[in-house]
Amino acid sequence: MTLADVPPNLSPMSRSRPRRHRAAGWILLLALANLPARAEPVTIFAAASLGGALSELWPPHRHPDVSLSFAGSSMLARQIDAGAPADLFLSASQDWMDYLQARGRIDMTSRIDLLGNRLVIIAPQGEGFELTLQPDTDIGAAFDGRLALGDPDHVPAGIYARQALQALGWWPALADRLAPASDVRAALVWVERGECAAGIVYATDAAASRNVEVVTTIPDSLHAPIRYPAALVSRRSTASTRRWLDTLRSAAARAVFRRHGFTLLTASE
Amino acid sequence: MLSPQEWDVLGLSLRVALASVGLSLPAAIAMGWLLARREFRGKLLLDGLCHLPLVLPPVVTGYVLLLAFGRRGWFGPVLDALGVTLAFDWKGAVLASAVVAFPLALRAVRLAIEEVDPRLEGVARTLGAGPWRVFFTVTLRLAAPGLWVGALLAFARSLGEFGATITFVANIAGQTRTIPAAIYTFLNQPGGEDAALRLVWISVAVSLAALLGSEWAARRARGRQEMR
Repeated sequence: MTLADVPPNLSPMSRSRPRRHRAAGWILLLALANLPARAEPVTIFAAASLGGALSELWPPHRHPDVSLSFAGSSMLARQIDAGAPADLFLSASQDWMDYLQARGRIDMTSRIDLLGNRLVIIAPQGEGFELTLQPDTDIGAAFDGRLALGDPDHVPAGIYARQALQALGWWPALADRLAPASDVRAALVWVERGECAAGIVYATDAAASRNVEVVTTIPDSLHAPIRYPAALVSRRSTASTRRWLDTLRSAAARAVFRRHGFTLLTASE
Repeated sequence: MLSPQEWDVLGLSLRVALASVGLSLPAAIAMGWLLARREFRGKLLLDGLCHLPLVLPPVVTGYVLLLAFGRRGWFGPVLDALGVTLAFDWKGAVLASAVVAFPLALRAVRLAIEEVDPRLEGVARTLGAGPWRVFFTVTLRLAAPGLWVGALLAFARSLGEFGATITFVANIAGQTRTIPAAIYTFLNQPGGEDAALRLVWISVAVSLAALLGSEWAARRARGRQEMR
């Protein structure tokens, strides 16, 4: 028996403190009244890099109707493919959304490109260095040790980073000097700790950290466009879940995403 | 049968796991003897500390290793002076595996040493053997089956180590991309299932071979004792 199985009236709190309980009930009712009429709960699977923004948009304690699950897009896509009870999927890469679409797991009519992002080269705070993004730059001598990035073999941020490094002609000099992380946030930690003197992460990751500084922003002409697609899971495509998807394009949501450093790819609602 | 990349991954995994046993087993023997044979203040605390890697999430262990043994870690300057690089290097993978495997080896070794009748050690002493000689020729000899079990557990745990390793030393092909890291990489690629499955079978085969080998060695050690 889990906690959720305990009938609420058996909880000792509710018996010993009826007044406080009633007050809590009123507060809850007010909170619910503040919500739009879409109180049907929703489960959202979202790429780890969206964690900060979505948690700010729907703080768990104020939005018990929204369940957020953050992980690498690949992990989430495989879970959805295996039948995980997600309603809405926000992916950091088109590949994994394509994967689900090819398997009929998402409602392709609901699919939109929601957000964009940029890549930045970062250094530990106070240890920035000069860098010109030119093929003739001696990148090997620009910093010591390894370059932290998402694993270019599978992490989207790392795949974009490799494209940019190849476009700059820097790849051969750096291929043996990479520290490939299991996700882009792990790469950020290595630069924060000074384990790596340089790293490539999303602009949103750099903005979220006080312990790194941006050396330079990588022009997005050097890599495939960074787009976060969103779509409803096939079996869960209902009017209610569609409204949750629309909420992600609301003015409030747009403000939060912009503050976290994302670019907005949809017209406002 | 195996592709060159698969041989690389397998070879690296075996190298890391064997080196990890080489690092964790001596430490487990020393600590096992201390915990089995000596009473002292703070023994319970020491016991608890030794078992921490068993209960901590591997990611935490990996992060603590990064804090301690990274380039800028607490022991970074010492390692630097010694010319040892652990971060993002296969030696770091060995350290991560050894730390995680240590409590398992310790449990087996300690039990084995506790099983050895102290009176036999006493007899050896009265016959003129020094403490080191007693330790190596009586205690360890009699505890041998347990040592084999400890070595196997450490080897198996090292072969499967993932969380602490990837946090501490990344996932670098040829340096730190062991079998679990390679499987993880493939599973994260659309269409990587087949390659991942091949590695799964390889790791099942290696683990099974290690189990059987250790069982055989432990039996031999036991048999030799009974003959004596």
